[in-house]
Amino acid sequence: MRFLLLCTVFLLLCAGCMDQSEEQVTIRVVSAGSMLVPLEGIEEAYEDQHPGVDIQVEGHGSIQAVRQITDLNRRFDLVLVADQALIPDMMYRERENEEGQYTDSFVPFATNQIVIAYTDKSRYADEINADNWYQILARPDVHIGFSNPMLDACGYRALMVTALAGEYYGDDGLFDRMIGDHINPRATVERYGDDISIVLPELLLPKGDKVSIRSGSIYLLALLDAGGIDYAFEYRSVARDHGLHWIDLPPEIDLSDPDFQDNYKRVQVNLGYQRFESIDNIRVGEQIVYAATIPNNAENPEHAEQFMDFMLKAIQNREYGGPEPL
Amino acid sequence: MQIHTFFICAVLIAALSICGCMSAPFESTDDRIWNLTLIGDTEEVLTLQELRSLPSVEGYGYGISTVGIKVGPNTYRGVLISDLIERVGGMGQNDLVYISADDGYLWVFGADQIKGEGFMTLNEDLKEIPSPGLSVICAYERDGEIIDEEWGGPLRVIIISNQENTIVEASSWVKWVDSIEVKRR
Repeated sequence: MRFLLLCTVFLLLCAGCMDQSEEQVTIRVVSAGSMLVPLEGIEEAYEDQHPGVDIQVEGHGSIQAVRQITDLNRRFDLVLVADQALIPDMMYRERENEEGQYTDSFVPFATNQIVIAYTDKSRYADEINADNWYQILARPDVHIGFSNPMLDACGYRALMVTALAGEYYGDDGLFDRMIGDHINPRATVERYGDDISIVLPELLLPKGDKVSIRSGSIYLLALLDAGGIDYAFEYRSVARDHGLHWIDLPPEIDLSDPDFQDNYKRVQVNLGYQRFESIDNIRVGEQIVYAATIPNNAENPEHAEQFMDFMLKAIQNREYGGPEPL
Repeated sequence: MQIHTFFICAVLIAALSICGCMSAPFESTDDRIWNLTLIGDTEEVLTLQELRSLPSVEGYGYGISTVGIKVGPNTYRGVLISDLIERVGGMGQNDLVYISADDGYLWVFGADQIKGEGFMTLNEDLKEIPSPGLSVICAYERDGEIIDEEWGGPLRVIIISNQENTIVEASSWVKWVDSIEVKRR
């Protein structure tokens, strides 16, 4: 009887040990907002295949995402940004009191393009097309929206596209009519030879109701849906994933095509002030490239790498929407 | 034996009850060393304790991030930023207020915003709603307790209202506030 009891206790202890060895692994991901929709599906599929793994995703604007690690000293296993330049700019820096940089490499994996998103309810929805979009958006009775350039890369990219459109269509006053004149104080465009500089005031407040500025894409989409605006500058993947109509813009200006990189680089946005100590207030136009990196202080780098490979494959196969693979 | 056990248990229960009664009701105190610099026409440095002794207001703070993550609602107590600005000369309608933090974060407010105007407000379904009365405060208490460092304490900008379910976009909720500066324009 005593022997039986001892065996039972032994078996129970073994079971305890085995449970411990199969402990849940948590992979913490900090991601740009425009990756959140595809990440939902990717996370679910990965967790189904790896029952011992819990993927936890936290969304931010891309700069704020990097800053969680570099400025706020939080630990994440994987970083996903909508602007690859942010990784070398912000993470190829020595960590305080530690050896090495925040990261040493990154993987570019997808691209996107700026489009004009709209709904059936949008004014002139039955008239707008790829040739006249800029004329429609500049009409005084058309309400347009973009996200706050201070908070969202899509916001400063919208301004870049508008300035490049003025040049592309030979309409020097386009930026002012569409956006600049409807901000108080005005947002101005300055030209230095071939280069274009958009200078924003410190406080970006709309004047009148021509322009609406929201802090992020989801609020812009809600406003579009409610009829508060007619057209919004959005990423193509976001417009598609939310079932909106959209107008594709010429590749010369939509920030998607590496062949036009030199043209994109001609435009820069001077944000009204330096919001973060770790990055300056000038954003230079370039092809939109998403990138992933595993920080050097990740808690589960091996698991993070496995998840990253899975995610890259899913993006490559366009399984869950999201930005286009490179 | 049973009587003895019963007696011990009764004594223990009584002791625990007395301990519970003797615990002082929660009182929020904060001994952390932290200075808030106010810069305007004049300059003043307030310690955390000095700030907490100023007239304060309380309301609901319910924030949402740029990607839609809700935080709250919580009850916050703090000092109106407008009151703090008054201590160093006030601000004009065209002036700006730079609020910065220990970690290098900076957010700029206009005069209307300091009065609680011009912020996007949402309901629980994330539909935009007309803004109720809002106040911008330098908060030092959350739900009756000091604001811990992880939450952005000891001092954090919070936009409060008297309506529990009013959501405000929270990019301007600067954590670890250490400086409030009026920029004349």
